[in-house]
Amino acid sequence: MQLSGPATPPSTVTVSISRDPALVRTVRLVAAALARRTGRDEEFVEEVRLAVGEACTLLLAPSPGGAESEPLTVAMQFDDGFAVDVTCEGPAPLAGLPDTETDGLERWALLRGLIDDFRVQHDGAMTRVSMSWPDA
Amino acid sequence: MDLSLETRTEDGRTIVEVGGEIDVYTAPRLRDKITELVGDGSYDLVIDMEKVEFLDSTGLGVLVGGLKKVRAHDGSMRLICNQERLLKIFRITGLAKVFAIHGSQAEALAER
Repeated sequence: MQLSGPATPPSTVTVSISRDPALVRTVRLVAAALARRTGRDEEFVEEVRLAVGEACTLLLAPSPGGAESEPLTVAMQFDDGFAVDVTCEGPAPLAGLPDTETDGLERWALLRGLIDDFRVQHDGAMTRVSMSWPDA
Repeated sequence: MDLSLETRTEDGRTIVEVGGEIDVYTAPRLRDKITELVGDGSYDLVIDMEKVEFLDSTGLGVLVGGLKKVRAHDGSMRLICNQERLLKIFRITGLAKVFAIHGSQAEALAER
């Protein structure tokens, strides 16, 4: 007799947007809706919403050699925990680059401070920001 | 929700009541408003964020830029914010120590 079935794989949702700042809000709304499905509190939902929006914002910023016409892909995977990969073609503007609008504010400071498990990878011509929140 | 901006003058200071979401899409409008006010000679600003529902690093950058603009004219910029989720953003980025953050307009206007 089988007492338990195979583990249910995590649910996934992938959203791809053109590099239009107006569309970041849509991604935030999707991320918040999915975070809410984990059954965790609103503070968690708000953190996911902020982090996903922030990652998109950072990768949308123009960068030398960036592929402005290529879309931004946001892959979200969730069960009890939550994991998000935000991927764009081309290099992303990383910390330390001068930016007059954010003078005095390190661009990645918010994302770094917000979540512990946060990585930025350059894989060939692609930049990926990976974030995850473990099971509650 | 989109960004809303309402401006009025009280007690020699310009109050900008901001509502909605300050993000990568809408923050340029707030930046333009602050630039316009400073250009018109308003150097003492109070940015009321009580009705702000979302703030990202682009919005923070605009506020930092605004602070630098008014300080260049020996002016001031005070923020009104009593929402914990926004205050957390200021703390995380170390900006809670940079800005004068008040709980209400009355409190901000009482400061000189």
